[in-house]
Amino acid sequence: MLWRWLIFIWIAAFMIAAFAWAPLVPVLEATTRVLYFHIPAAWVTVLALGWSMIHSALYLWKRDMRHDDQAAAAAELGLLFCVVATVSGSLWAKAMWGSYWNWDPRETSIFFVLLLYAAYLALRGSIEGEEKRARLSAVYSVIAFVAVPFLMFVVPRIYFSLHPEVIDLSRGKVDMDPRIRICFSGMLVGFTFLYFWLQSLKVRVTRLERRALVS
Amino acid sequence: MPRSWSSSMAAVWAVLRKECRSEWRTRYGLNAALLFAVASLAAVSFSAGRLGERTDVLAALFWIVLLFATLASMSHAFVRETENRTMLLLRLVASPTEIALGKLLFNLVFLLVVEVAIVPLFMVLMSAPPPRWGSFLTVLGLGTVSLAASSTLVGAVIAQTRGRGALFAGVSLPLLLPVLAAAVSGTKAQWIGVGLDGEIRLLIAYAVALLGMSLLLYEHLWED
Amino acid sequence: MNSHDLTVLGVALLVWGLLFLWLLRIDKRVKDLEKQ
Repeated sequence: MLWRWLIFIWIAAFMIAAFAWAPLVPVLEATTRVLYFHIPAAWVTVLALGWSMIHSALYLWKRDMRHDDQAAAAAELGLLFCVVATVSGSLWAKAMWGSYWNWDPRETSIFFVLLLYAAYLALRGSIEGEEKRARLSAVYSVIAFVAVPFLMFVVPRIYFSLHPEVIDLSRGKVDMDPRIRICFSGMLVGFTFLYFWLQSLKVRVTRLERRALVS
Repeated sequence: MPRSWSSSMAAVWAVLRKECRSEWRTRYGLNAALLFAVASLAAVSFSAGRLGERTDVLAALFWIVLLFATLASMSHAFVRETENRTMLLLRLVASPTEIALGKLLFNLVFLLVVEVAIVPLFMVLMSAPPPRWGSFLTVLGLGTVSLAASSTLVGAVIAQTRGRGALFAGVSLPLLLPVLAAAVSGTKAQWIGVGLDGEIRLLIAYAVALLGMSLLLYEHLWED
Repeated sequence: MNSHDLTVLGVALLVWGLLFLWLLRIDKRVKDLEKQ
């Protein structure tokens, strides 16, 4: 039980630090703080979808149902965090750009990711038979993850976007005030642990459901 | 069963020829695609009027017509096998990868035939300015490869689901949206006359990634 | 930190706390069911 409370205290502490201790970025002003929420959510999206892809590949290789449980749970959670990132991004766009949605390359690509994994869940729902569902969704999950790096990393760098680049990969360094960087990294770590907690909960619930169905 | 390269190629070729023959016998898919394309082109061109100068709109309309015409008809390559219950027979004579490669080649040929009909029709009906053929055909070709690769894989998956054809467009489209975005912007760029290296590089990378991943996945499409 | 910031922080902490307690309850329930 202890580590769950640690996650709670960790995230709460960095939330307080983000408000009371970290400075604001000049142009962004009060909207700076979406950074501690929006980017960790986007990071967990990529992490969860990658986790889903890895377990899908493992399922195809080992044919063990436990990998399918992991892949399905990860895709659902990835979609959830993707919605969180989209909504927080949209609210920020309203504050900074004046409208909730205007098809900036960043908005376009995250919308495509949403559609991709909504299609994955629709596909899962339409296949009868546990083994067949696991196998075919694994095939789709692997091919879908081909599109994710393109959408998340390549497209926004090719097309002109107004989206601020906090982490500039091309220069390989982070342009941030050290206090902002500490809060930001803390939130990244906190979100990652929160994700793995949710993931394990989801998988255990799936297993309980299966056991209930069998008995 | 491991087989030699040449006999695998022979199997792929046999699947391709069988596909072409059974398509030619009914021309069901081809008719559906062409009819859909002509009808949607007519609808678009009379409701939008002359768009000669609006190359941004033209590029978007061209790819949407092409994409939907193919999505409306391309799922049947595998659905047909399931409906006629011939999939088992096919599986006896060829490995999953050979079948899928044969179907992939068939889908490529199918798309080329559809495009040969759509492109001139589009140019005439929409009174589009003449494209720079080199760039235009490069974008079109790369888009076609991605379209065929994703349709083959998704088609094989969809044929085994409850609704069969119903989900095909919904599941294919998100996979093809990056292609659509890059192809539309590339087509627009060649009309305006600006460089389109970024789009072409993106299209190549995406087509290669899709094809490479598909090759690894084909053998898992059917249970032995 | 002005009063507006304090309100936002308070609401955020409250939401996170409620979410956490909800997850904790699910976790306990799953554990009980697993024991059966």
